[in-house]
Amino acid sequence: MGSSNIWITDLYHYYDKKQATPTLEDINLTIPKGQLTALIGRSGCGKSTLLQMIAGLLIPSEGSVRINAHTVTKPSAKWNMMFQKPSLYPWMTVRENAALGLVFAGTYASKKDRVEELLDMVGLSEHKDKNVQQLSGGQQQRVALARSLATEPDVLLLDEPFSALDAFTRSALQTEVAQICHDYGITMVLVTHDIEEAVAMADKVVIMNHNPGRIVGSMDVELPYPRDRSEPQFIELKEYLFAEFEKIDQAKQAELEKQLAS
Amino acid sequence: MSNAMTVEKFSFGQITATYKKMPGWLQNFTNATLGMTILLFLWWVGGVLIESNPDTEAFAAFAPGPALSALWGLLGTEFLWDTITSSLERILFGLFWGIVIGVPVGVILGYFLAVRQIANMPFQFLRMISPLAWMPIAVLAFETWDGAIIFLIVMATVWPIVFGTAHGVQRIDPNWFRVARNLGADGYQMLRRVIMPAIAQDVFAGIRLAIGVAWVVLVPAEYLGVTSGLGYAINDARDTLDYDKLAAIVVVIGVIGYLLDTVAAKLIKRYSWNLE
Ligand SMILES: Nc1ncnc2c1ncn2[C@@H]1O[C@H](COP(=O)(O)OP(=O)(O)O)[C@@H](O)[C@H]1O
Ligand SMILES: [Mg+2]
Repeated sequence: MGSSNIWITDLYHYYDKKQATPTLEDINLTIPKGQLTALIGRSGCGKSTLLQMIAGLLIPSEGSVRINAHTVTKPSAKWNMMFQKPSLYPWMTVRENAALGLVFAGTYASKKDRVEELLDMVGLSEHKDKNVQQLSGGQQQRVALARSLATEPDVLLLDEPFSALDAFTRSALQTEVAQICHDYGITMVLVTHDIEEAVAMADKVVIMNHNPGRIVGSMDVELPYPRDRSEPQFIELKEYLFAEFEKIDQAKQAELEKQLAS
Repeated sequence: MSNAMTVEKFSFGQITATYKKMPGWLQNFTNATLGMTILLFLWWVGGVLIESNPDTEAFAAFAPGPALSALWGLLGTEFLWDTITSSLERILFGLFWGIVIGVPVGVILGYFLAVRQIANMPFQFLRMISPLAWMPIAVLAFETWDGAIIFLIVMATVWPIVFGTAHGVQRIDPNWFRVARNLGADGYQMLRRVIMPAIAQDVFAGIRLAIGVAWVVLVPAEYLGVTSGLGYAINDARDTLDYDKLAAIVVVIGVIGYLLDTVAAKLIKRYSWNLE
């Protein structure tokens, strides 16, 4: 699989022309190749909006997203998105769902083995012929993961993909996906509001502020994979991020009080 | 006395116990046989009552005995074959046009809320008009009787197909489009792999209702002008006082209607994707 850098330059976004504060303001970000970058921020800060712009599902009001030499203007199987809900097709088996991107590309006949391997890798060897409605939520998300990987994307965009899962399944999948990112050298961007998830998975954590959505800081995580969540360094990084969010809140509060006073 | 009661209860309990132990298909078969036996019995009682009343005596041939022997005589004749095929041909043409018109209209209706809101009143209004009420218009508008009958069948089949399709389209999860687009689907692939399988069961449910209405409408429609088909055969048997033949044709209508409905039910089952 290939991999690519993503450059986001001077990006602004308004959902509505008359909006007082932009949804996204002055976003400049470089996402390194073959690594996992996590975007964290409160609900509503514009993480999904930014991710959809990287995917080509939304066009920014100003500025641009480039992946390698291409300016992103439309979706492509080379940069794939995984959503919070698996959104599988209930009339298909596990295998048929996983193969769908290849069927669309007309390459399934020559890449059958790849689908089998991916399903084995995500732990669904015994469920390939089942209808997807027979699977648990975690297993369904694994099918969606295999489906996203089948088309050999350079970039995989993950929008809170584990937030609907139970804690055990979630942490298992977090570890596996981070492993896949580094084993295959796929560039991944993960959107989450879960600080632990970010520290468990990411090479780099980018912190977003809300209203307007801006990037206010970033932090490298240099712990080896798989990460031990009880290790002091892991806990230290988590606490650092919590403190950053508290600072953001205090700054917001101070700003509000200043506005009220004047 | 009390002894006899317990014996009776005991044997009844045993029957239910045996029934519960039977495999599903055998239970279904038993139920169907029992139901048909009751129907046949009621028919027979009706025949006896008709025969014993001097006013209706002339219609005694409606009873199961004469009717079934007339049916036996009809089986395999060219007349019966032609009668059935002309009726089926009309139904299939009508259904074909009902689908060709109904499915696209249903897709548009299901997809666009505004269209749904505007079309709701007129469609519900038109739907409630008996297809047979269009008969005078159909006769004026079409040169052949066959054309007029097929038009009436289209008027009967189009509504359930429109509403079934629209229902199916409304049930589509918008995320299915988003994911497919993300995986690189083009317009045709979206239709073929996402939209069609998603709505197939609802379209077939509409078609099943349509077949039911069309089959009911067909017989009176064939009283019109044409000289073939089951409706014509009934009318003809009445005119020639062949009441046993008339009753035999009624049985044929029931059997074919049942078979058509079974085919439609099978299709719904084949294309439905909800797990119970
Ligand atoms: N399609 C839309 N139209 C208008 N406003 C939107 C739309 N989608 C999101 N928003 C608004 O933009 C802001 C950012 O949303 P989103 O990117 O979904 O945030 P996040 O993913 O960080 O929770 C929110 O205030 C949300 O209400
Ligand atoms: Mg979001």
